Amino acid sequence: MPTLPKGSIRVEHVWKKFRADRTAPLFYDQILRARRSLTGGGGRPYRWVLKDVSVTVEPGGTLGLIGINGSGKTTLLKIISGTTYQSAGQLQAEGRLGALLSVTSGIHPDLTGRENVFLYGAVLGMRRKISRERFDEIVEFAGLADAIDRQVKFFSLGMQMRLGFSIAAFLEPDILLVDEVLSVGDANFQQKCLRRIEEVVRQGTTLVYVSHDLTSVEATCQRSLWLADAVVQAAGPTREVAALYRKSVEQDASLATSNDGVVRMLKSSITGPDGGPVLSLEDAEIQLTLNSPEAVEADFYVGVSLGTAFPMFITKYHGLFPSGDFEVKCQLHHVPLFKGRYSIWTAMTSFGKWADNPLLPWKPAVAFDAFGPDVLEPPQGVMVAAPLHVGTTWSVE
Amino acid sequence: MQSMALSTPQEGETPSASGNTRSGEGSALPAEPPSHLIYRHEARLRTSLSDLWASRDIIYTLAERDIRAQYKQATLGMLWALIVPMAMLGIFILIFSRTKSLGVLPGVPYPIFAYIGILCWTFFSQSLGTGGTALLNNHDLMSKTQFPRECFPLETILVTAVNTVLAWIPLVLLFIFYRIVPKPATLWVVPLMMLIEVLFTVGLTLGVAALIIQMRDLAQVLPMIIQLGLFVTPVIWQFSIIPAKWQIVYGFFNPLGPVIDDARRAMLLGGHPAPIPLMAAIAGTACYLAVGYRLFKRFEVNFADIA
Repeated sequence: MPTLPKGSIRVEHVWKKFRADRTAPLFYDQILRARRSLTGGGGRPYRWVLKDVSVTVEPGGTLGLIGINGSGKTTLLKIISGTTYQSAGQLQAEGRLGALLSVTSGIHPDLTGRENVFLYGAVLGMRRKISRERFDEIVEFAGLADAIDRQVKFFSLGMQMRLGFSIAAFLEPDILLVDEVLSVGDANFQQKCLRRIEEVVRQGTTLVYVSHDLTSVEATCQRSLWLADAVVQAAGPTREVAALYRKSVEQDASLATSNDGVVRMLKSSITGPDGGPVLSLEDAEIQLTLNSPEAVEADFYVGVSLGTAFPMFITKYHGLFPSGDFEVKCQLHHVPLFKGRYSIWTAMTSFGKWADNPLLPWKPAVAFDAFGPDVLEPPQGVMVAAPLHVGTTWSVE
Repeated sequence: MQSMALSTPQEGETPSASGNTRSGEGSALPAEPPSHLIYRHEARLRTSLSDLWASRDIIYTLAERDIRAQYKQATLGMLWALIVPMAMLGIFILIFSRTKSLGVLPGVPYPIFAYIGILCWTFFSQSLGTGGTALLNNHDLMSKTQFPRECFPLETILVTAVNTVLAWIPLVLLFIFYRIVPKPATLWVVPLMMLIEVLFTVGLTLGVAALIIQMRDLAQVLPMIIQLGLFVTPVIWQFSIIPAKWQIVYGFFNPLGPVIDDARRAMLLGGHPAPIPLMAAIAGTACYLAVGYRLFKRFEVNFADIA
């Protein structure tokens, strides 16, 4: 294989199998497998967690890995890092690797924060001399100056995570691999971490980033790979891949919707001006048809989420609802949404005998597309693309 | 307001390949990877060793971690490294000092004779005991980091080595107490014996560590085997009990026999190593090292997955 420049990653047709749920002790298991392969009977004693995955990252490139739990993201990251080996296919990752697969596994609880800086630094591949030089910077970044001589078992999980990330942030590797690790820190520190990641990327480090937080992937990675059921579903520019991913998650969610409350949702729709599609900053009307076995006084909630997960706003109506079929209409004024895919959520609650169980549980009722200007590109270091579109009048004097 | 695209995307359409987005590959995928792609793990000795050398800081740091953690909570701290072998010596004195049949070197006090054996034995047995299970105990770290796996057993051997150095202090005190001066041959024989012992220990520990991952039962049996080893190794008895023609076989399979015997006779009597058992011990050590390291490298592919 030709030697690639430092910081390149090339994954070619990589497959990975895991032993299927183990039914026998390891050694006995191997005897069983040997027998099975001789007699040729029985099912496959393993399952594939990655199938024919190929991806290339140029030096200085950024790749996001997205997908639901168990889709193989972390396994791919581990294979790239060399923590585990592929079952088939080829892999090249040139240059010094910094892998942040878990922030607390290298940290020893009985040691002080100071001792752990050197320990974790070494485990991540930092030379002792460098750890010593960077020590003050690391502690300052973690914001742990007061606690650094305390034993780590007296740290909170968030503090341990801050220590772990800070050490990794000053590694300056050619390739940085980051698994879902930032979710433990507080929002402030997450921002700080993402800024640091961006800084490292600007200095020419290649980044592979795994996260469930799509917005942070969108903010940090140019390209993305979407894995589902061990297979690459889509690969390309992050915005396109993320859009496809959002759509699929949303379809799954709407399939899960069923009527298990007392009140049943019969029909739901939303229309924009003149019965057309929903337009940014124009009015829209939500029409719902429901059925109730008896007349109730209740609170009716309508909410809108970006995709199916990210809540945008919610409104409430209190009133009397008749028995039998009835219709609820809700006028939204100046819909503050950018172009995108959204869901309408509904719920109905009451008091008295209905106090414990909602009449209609909080669930997505219908998905819709809004048309209008695009979401603004987030500036560097801004994690969440601000999702609401507000009508504004500007003046500069 | 900007112009709007009013083309409504159709519900349930398959992800389209828009722009340079590649997608929907799953359809034509075989159930198994083609055989020419199957990954074969090849660990070349040269690259393995140079990787290991590059990771030496990790070994030091992990060893430091263990030593600090080990003694942080103990009131007596590092003194435990002295107390354990001394207690062992006390037991041996109580039980065996009167039994002449085991054969003690002529004119040598039993405590010194036994303590040299204990020193050698403790290093070996503790290294094997902790190093053999090092991969299991560090599973959490191993499944999240990528440095050479040899670091874990080697690190525990280093920790034991530090403890063993401390355990030399009682030996020095014993020499002073009995007014014995180690003979000049000590200077070259003892370092040579230590080298053989360390290499033998490393080889066996690496092999055992790799096998324990595959066969967990071994972790239960290991302490028993080590205990048995104490009695088949000339710790409390003398190597010369073994008939001369068997010494070469014994030396090959248990290099510790000649090692302990030669160290003792060099320190106490100034004797030079008997060449034949020593050669056997060196050959045995080389085999243990080669086989142990090979086993380790061979099974290394699985470590992170099944540990």
